[in-house]
Amino acid sequence: MIYISIIIGCILGAIIGMNAPVISYTYSSYLAIAIIAALDTVFGGITSVLNKNFDLKIFLSGFFGNAILSIALTYLGERLNVDIYLAAVVVFVGRMFTNLAIIRRHYVDKWTNKFEQMSLKMKEVNATEKKEAK
Amino acid sequence: MKGKYTMIISIGFAALILTAIMFTQFKTVEQTDITAIETMRETELRTELADWKTKYDELEEKLNETESKINEYQAEVSNSKESSNVLDKELAETNMYLGYTKLQGEGIEITLSDNEYKTIDRWDLLQLVNELKLAGAEAISINNERIVSTTEIATVGVQFILINGNRIPAPFTVKAIGDKKYLESAITIKGGYIDEMKVNEKTVDYTVKDLIEIPAYSGKINFEYAEENK
Repeated sequence: MIYISIIIGCILGAIIGMNAPVISYTYSSYLAIAIIAALDTVFGGITSVLNKNFDLKIFLSGFFGNAILSIALTYLGERLNVDIYLAAVVVFVGRMFTNLAIIRRHYVDKWTNKFEQMSLKMKEVNATEKKEAK
Repeated sequence: MKGKYTMIISIGFAALILTAIMFTQFKTVEQTDITAIETMRETELRTELADWKTKYDELEEKLNETESKINEYQAEVSNSKESSNVLDKELAETNMYLGYTKLQGEGIEITLSDNEYKTIDRWDLLQLVNELKLAGAEAISINNERIVSTTEIATVGVQFILINGNRIPAPFTVKAIGDKKYLESAITIKGGYIDEMKVNEKTVDYTVKDLIEIPAYSGKINFEYAEENK
């Protein structure tokens, strides 16, 4: 169900985004940083799901909060003539990589466990077959 | 179950917003890549605009400068044209006056020739030239020697008269440009030049002409001792 809702949301979002009017390039930098923040939250959410401590409130607040905060910081940086958005990008992308690493480890562990179990089962089957043959 | 549905819906909503914003951004970036101006940030555009403005101002200043210079030059050119015209005119007049140009005009031609009794001497010529000048002659020549301010009329030996450094033999043809009536009356007046010459038994002949040509002075006037007194 969750996956279906995600796919439907993505498709609808793509359609809306393609039909949306082109925004001024001035604001596109804010939008870009918001996207990075949201993606970071998404990967964080996936990690938390895998760790089984997923909280919808935290996910949603992170999703919108990070985006808005990063936009605010970028605006502040623009005002101060400091490229704060670079720091935001570094932090978010770094966290994304950490989360991706956690996700990767999780699935690698899962699959290696599966293979081990399968091989154990095969051994057991072989053993039983041998016993039966005797 | 209720909590699960809200979770599903909210996560789907989040995915929707994320993809929508992402695709908007893709589109924006793609479209703005087409035109170089739009890819610039507002601040960049502002600095660019400021640069162009300063450049424009500088160029305008330069343009104004150049225009004023051109105006100056034009004024100078017209001035120099005027002055050169005036100078040309002056030069031509001076040349005419000095005898450096051929001249033509109405005037009188007087021929003095030796006869059996008397020869023409320099006093006759000098007197004639003087009379003609008095009558307003603008240019005078004797046997095609132009009479200018430095022209001498001197006797060399017996037969010749020195004019402009050239030996001139008789008969002498004196040409003068000026008002022909004045010139004629000046020499034919009673007791005037011609009468006097006839009394002295010298041969004088004159014709009044509408077109008399007087050649240019071929020599040069050099100032060796004289200089301008400022």
